[in-house]
Amino acid sequence: MQSRRELLIIFISIYIILLILPVFIHDDAYITGVLITCMVWGTVASVWNFTMGYAGIFTFGQFGFFVVAAYTSGMVTKYLGISPWIGILSGGCMAGLVGILIGLPCMKLKGAYIALITFALHLVVGPLIKVGDPIGTGGSTGLMSIPTLKLGGYIFSRTQLIPWYFVALVISFLILLAVYKIIFSSVGLGFIGLRDSEDFAKTLGINEYKYKLMVFGLSAFLTGIIGGFYAHYAGIISPRLLGLDIFLMVMLMLIIGGMGIFPGAFLGGFIIFFLNELLRPLASYRFLIFGAIVVVAIKYMPEGILGNLDFFKKLTKKILFRKTIVPE
Amino acid sequence: MNIWVQQIIQVIISGIITASAYAIMGIGLSVIYGISRVFNFAYGSFFTWGAYFAWSLFAMFSWMNYPLVFLIVLPGMFFLGMATERVVVRSLRWREHWQVTTMMVTLGLAFFMDNLAHIVFGHRAKPLPPIFKGNLNPFGFTLSVQDLAMLIIAISIIIIFGLFLSKTRLGRSMQAISQDMTGAEIVGIPIRKVFSYTFGLSTALVGMGGILLAPRYFISPLGGWDPFFRVFVIVAFGGLGSIKGTLYAALILAIFEALISWGLGATWVMPFWFLVFLGVLAFRPTGLMGTWG
Repeated sequence: MQSRRELLIIFISIYIILLILPVFIHDDAYITGVLITCMVWGTVASVWNFTMGYAGIFTFGQFGFFVVAAYTSGMVTKYLGISPWIGILSGGCMAGLVGILIGLPCMKLKGAYIALITFALHLVVGPLIKVGDPIGTGGSTGLMSIPTLKLGGYIFSRTQLIPWYFVALVISFLILLAVYKIIFSSVGLGFIGLRDSEDFAKTLGINEYKYKLMVFGLSAFLTGIIGGFYAHYAGIISPRLLGLDIFLMVMLMLIIGGMGIFPGAFLGGFIIFFLNELLRPLASYRFLIFGAIVVVAIKYMPEGILGNLDFFKKLTKKILFRKTIVPE
Repeated sequence: MNIWVQQIIQVIISGIITASAYAIMGIGLSVIYGISRVFNFAYGSFFTWGAYFAWSLFAMFSWMNYPLVFLIVLPGMFFLGMATERVVVRSLRWREHWQVTTMMVTLGLAFFMDNLAHIVFGHRAKPLPPIFKGNLNPFGFTLSVQDLAMLIIAISIIIIFGLFLSKTRLGRSMQAISQDMTGAEIVGIPIRKVFSYTFGLSTALVGMGGILLAPRYFISPLGGWDPFFRVFVIVAFGGLGSIKGTLYAALILAIFEALISWGLGATWVMPFWFLVFLGVLAFRPTGLMGTWG
């Protein structure tokens, strides 16, 4: 287990690197685009890590919340002409509401059942969007021409990606900071207590009902915010976001990064996404490999990269040590 | 007879026939969860692969017939399931949160299998030839011989499985484990061996379901997810681990499904399944006859 300081250092240094990175990439649209997508899915994975790794509630519904928020934000700004920023916030609130509604039946249930009911949410949002064509969801083709963001007098264009990059950076930073603050607050300790020993935590006066609903609402809200941002960034959203390939990739971010270790999933996001780009020439074999990685990683490296931080420290020490020996 | 009544009866009959295939798959899912407490997300992929195996047998040998296909595919699926349990699931069992870890692993496995199917067989949907051709017309209803055969095969499998559970040594040890795992281990039942047999058995059952449903719907790499979700709702509705509950649930829900797709259109079928699922979990998480959950 890593100390809080170590994790904070990793977290802050990731963001410092991300802040400096645009200097080197010179507004290269491809790389900027990949980095923005990394941040979006990395944030989703981090919030997922919060519910799964810290609160010990095994939800598979994060994408449902993401898509609900994206559609809410997109439709509100498109049809009612509201500012996209308020749209994003309303998307988050909508997702939070759905999260609490899904959380309510989960109160009576344990581990495996919660995973299944939330996975069912994931499966049903797509068909509902297709059925909801008359109210303007755009059916299976998706919701088109969602308005872009405006900041003061500046209008974000879809060809100039650097401003989007910084907005994504700020939003994902705020979300991760919120997650960090919650994890290391008394509330977060309550979550961890409920995860590790439910009965004991209850005897200490932790209200299980309140805390679990809070996890559902909060995680859905935070996922919703980034979902709302994504809708405006992409301009087009479709039920295809609920595809199993994206779901699996984000799950892989979680596994590779380390479940239950705070910035791991975000880091995992970058690793998986760059792996994805590297493996792109392999076409359909890519997903075959991803599926295999999930199985192998869970079997042989269940704690992910950050869980094995000590191992990497030892490895670097070994390498450094060898270098000092060489002159002899 | 009134045309509406006749139509509704026709719809109910088709519901019963689908129910029989769902019931076989439901028993497989229920058994594996009831006995080894593993929730297998790759269940839908095994469904597809069962059908694909049958399809490739038909494609390779022109003289192939259904009895032979069952004779080859079902043992094949059984061993595939046992191998999966051995390689993928077994070592995770004694870890913390292993139930959810196995879910994630089987989800990864499902993804692997689906994409393998996509690479090997392509994305174009494949048909299986019908088991029997022709129609029957009892009392003015149309009933294809194929559907009748499906019903008879499914019912006989269910009966055989029931006998297997109550009469054979392996079946009884499965029941013992589902009632009390620790107790079963204490009296000397080799639970690991039984787990892997169970996995194999449930895989064979879902493969059977795949072969039976494939002449009706087509086989495609992602085609297993829909039946998987439905079967899962059926099992939750009937109570995980209860075979009788699964049978009733399959009958009730498949008839409702047929009525809804006839009355409201096929787009409402999935929301219907989800509503049933939410309702079950909200009001009676143990299902109709579940004893534990």
